[in-house]
This record gives sequence, C-alpha cells and structure tokens, in this order.
Amino acid sequence: MSNSSKRKEESHLLMNGGVKQSTWTKVFNSKAVWEEKDEFLDVIYWLRQIIAVILGVIWGVAPLKGFLGIAIFCVINAGVLYVYFSSFQQVDEEEYGGTWELTKEGFMTSFALFLVVWIIFYTALHFD
Amino acid sequence: MYGWIAPILLNIFVAPILLGITWVLVYRTEKYKRLKAEVEKQSKKLEKKKETITESAGRQQKKKIERQEEKLKNNNRDLSMVRMKSMFAIGFCFTALMGMFNSIFDGRVVAKLPFVPLSYIQGLSHRNLLGEDYTDCSFIFLYILCTMSIRQVSLHTLSKPQSAGARSDEVKWTAD
Repeated sequence: MSNSSKRKEESHLLMNGGVKQSTWTKVFNSKAVWEEKDEFLDVIYWLRQIIAVILGVIWGVAPLKGFLGIAIFCVINAGVLYVYFSSFQQVDEEEYGGTWELTKEGFMTSFALFLVVWIIFYTALHFD
Repeated sequence: MYGWIAPILLNIFVAPILLGITWVLVYRTEKYKRLKAEVEKQSKKLEKKKETITESAGRQQKKKIERQEEKLKNNNRDLSMVRMKSMFAIGFCFTALMGMFNSIFDGRVVAKLPFVPLSYIQGLSHRNLLGEDYTDCSFIFLYILCTMSIRQVSLHTLSKPQSAGARSDEVKWTAD
C-alpha cells in the first residue's frame, strides 16, 4: 500500500488517462516537457542554490582561497547549468528570453549564498 | 570567533517572523484584498478594451479608456500606500535590530574571509576593525551577504512564481 501511495505522489493521473510528472521527476528526466516556463525557471533557480551550497562547503573545508575560488565557482555554476538546460533538457532558450536570461536566473543569490557558506565553513574549520 | 552565527540566525528566524507579522497585519486585511482584486479586475478590463479599440475609434471611446486608466492609477496608488505602511514598519524593525547588533559586534572580527576583497568593498568588509588584515570580516558585511542570500531564498520559497524572474508583489518588496 505504501509503495502505491508513493507512486501516486510522484505522478498524477490526468482526466484523459495521461500521466503528469512531478517537477522533481522531470528534473532528472532528459528532454522533459515543461508546460509552464516558471516551473523550469524555478528548477534552474534551486539547482543554482544547491550548487552554491555544495561548492561553498567544499571550498571552505579544503580550503580553497582567493579569487581563484570565486572564479571557479562562477565557471562551474554557469557551466553546469548551461549543460543542463541546453544538452540534458534541450529547452528552447528563446522561449525563456535567451541563454543569458537562463544563465542569470538566481545567479546573484547563489553567489551570495556561496560566499556565506564558504566564509562560515572556512572560519569554523580553520579559525575557531 | 562565533559572531558569524548572529547574522545567519537573524535572517533565518527573525526575518520570517517579521514578514509573517506583516502578512497578518496587512495582506490578510479585507481592505488590501479588496483593493488588489479591484486593481486586477480593472487591469484586465483595460487590457481587453485596448485590444479591441481601433484607430478610427471615437473620442468617447478614447475618453472612456483614459477614465479607466485614471481609476486604475488611483487604485494602484491606494494599494501602494497600504504596502508602504508595512514597509516602514519592517524597515524600522530591521534598522533597530541592525543597530543593536552593530553596536554589539562593533570592532569585533566575526569571521575570516578566504579571500581579500576588492579595495572598494574593504570599506564595508573591514568596517571599524583594527589592523590591516583585510581578511578580517565585520558584522555588517556578513549580514549583508546573508540578506542577499538566505533571506532572498526564503522569500523565493514563500512567493508564487508569476513570470520569468518576477515574484509575487506581496513578498518581493519586503526584500531590503
């Protein structure tokens, strides 16, 4: 019973018998269909924040210092998401206002989050 | 050196509480809901009218549209006034909190930066700190970074996406 209720959480039966995938299922499916633009933009936003936290932790623990750390973060953040939306999801970038709009979605927030996490881990592990 | 905890906690706990209070005091009121519904209805009506109007439309039609635009502008202004009250209240609370924490942490190094900031940022990151080690981080710099990150993420979580890059008015304006 618990397995079937889990499956129902992940997919919803539509009236015409089709199956609507949940957002997180679509994130991991290549070339998923994104009916709402905002849904995909939200995914890009949250993936950026996750990358920022992960890199902030790694950079703080290592520790990686200096502007090299910032530069590598920018390259990885922009690069990974670019590969995700252009190669993995293969979305039509023009629908979202072009590659630049997708690249800058949530970028500044993720950069600030990366700095906060990096600073905290660096301070806590190497100076406290 | 545990001072870095303060700006984090401020943005994780205090900010949502203040936003919640504003939401209860302003956005849940009948007046605000009525104004917002009125503005949305008028906007849609105006848009439809503008789509159907032709170049040869009479003066009366154009005057009607102008009157509706004026009415919409007035309602938007009233809506802004309601929001402004809570903006001031929130701004005042945050300013008071900031002032309090600033005086507690004044002159104290709350964290170490893993990089040397650019010279024009050092004024903020090394504010009121002794010495010339610019990897020393002041409270205000870390607080600003937390506001730009943690609070923005909370606001994004709370708001409903409406268009590419834009978020609901009710939550967007409270970001400072």
